[in-house]
Amino acid sequence: MASKTSDRRAKIEAATPKSRGGANRIVVATVVAVLAIAAIVAGVIIADQNKKSDLSKGGSSLPVGASAMGVGLVANPSAPANVPTLDIWADFQCPACKQFEDAFGNQVNEMAQNNQLRLRVHMLSFLDKNLNNDSSNRSANAAFCAADQDAFLPYFRGLYAIQPAQEGKGYTDAQLRQVAEASGINGAGVDRWQKCYDARDHNQYVESVQTQSAKDGVNSTPTIKLNGKPLQLQGLTPQTFAAQVKAATQ
Amino acid sequence: MNLVSERSQAGEPGLLRRPRTLDLVGLVARLLLGGVMLVAGLLKVAKPEVSARAVQAYQILPFDLATYVGYGLPILEVLLGALLVLGLFTRTAAAIAGVLLVAFIIGIASAWARGISIDCGCFGQGGTIDPSQTRYLEEILRDVGLVLCAAWLVTRPRTAYSLERTLFA
Repeated sequence: MASKTSDRRAKIEAATPKSRGGANRIVVATVVAVLAIAAIVAGVIIADQNKKSDLSKGGSSLPVGASAMGVGLVANPSAPANVPTLDIWADFQCPACKQFEDAFGNQVNEMAQNNQLRLRVHMLSFLDKNLNNDSSNRSANAAFCAADQDAFLPYFRGLYAIQPAQEGKGYTDAQLRQVAEASGINGAGVDRWQKCYDARDHNQYVESVQTQSAKDGVNSTPTIKLNGKPLQLQGLTPQTFAAQVKAATQ
Repeated sequence: MNLVSERSQAGEPGLLRRPRTLDLVGLVARLLLGGVMLVAGLLKVAKPEVSARAVQAYQILPFDLATYVGYGLPILEVLLGALLVLGLFTRTAAAIAGVLLVAFIIGIASAWARGISIDCGCFGQGGTIDPSQTRYLEEILRDVGLVLCAAWLVTRPRTAYSLERTLFA
């Protein structure tokens, strides 16, 4: 009889959830929930602050050729109204942009020089965040300092010409200066370029173009639009490109 | 005195319906869902701006809201993934993960339907890609599989080797 009672007690004990010794579920749940919310809120605030500090760094002056914050730089402002606008969104660290430049750079440059199209360049810097460096931002700043001395396109082309084969390697400050010197900037102009670059005179413009492009849904490079219409790069040849420009000319 | 257990009277349940088997199925569901969530979150958590751009690229949420969602999402994924891998608050974590995944599926399907060519940005990257490189169906099927894992865990949150069983014993 006694053994049966203890047997039953053992069974009841085994069946009852053991609350003693275990942690309190509600307390643990509250702690986890509070920590989780704190982590998310803190993460969002820190990211937002970092972004805002990026946006306010450097100077706020517009480079020559840019009419407003967020708007692309027009490389040939003398283009007549009847020619189409070719918009190029590019990042100096983007290998596909170099490929486009290698394949179509001469042609686009020539058409811009002859005012057969209005070339508007939107220099992006988003690859810095992918590649964990700051070369896109620095090189965009460097190119806009060159724009102030009427050397944007030579700088643009010169920098793509020396793009490192390995994506993410970036550009040194010395390389950025060498390209300025090779773009027809010389004498006192080099000092002016250097001063502009060191102070990041156009940094807020660089950031504004990046922000505006993201708002406009352009989030990869190169993106090329002819009169606002995306240009299909796959299968594009100098002939088909020229034909499309001609067709878009009024 | 009834010393014969009910189970023996009713006969052993089939192998596939034994609680131990179901616990192990739950374990697999938990590790799959949690593992994917954790990896996806960790790959993005150090690059909030890349994640923000991936969310913006869907062009569904207003721009600024998409930015904040992009900042916060990787952290949420890491937390949910960690809870699921550990087996702590499995039902709640799986329910939230399931809701997230359904939202992801809607987002991907919407991008597909609108003809936008983007990478889903699930594991970093994101943004516009060549139309020939989109993998919408694959991305949706993967998320549907994970939703099934979440549904299992919400229905039957008891799993083998979970922290909650040890902690709240």
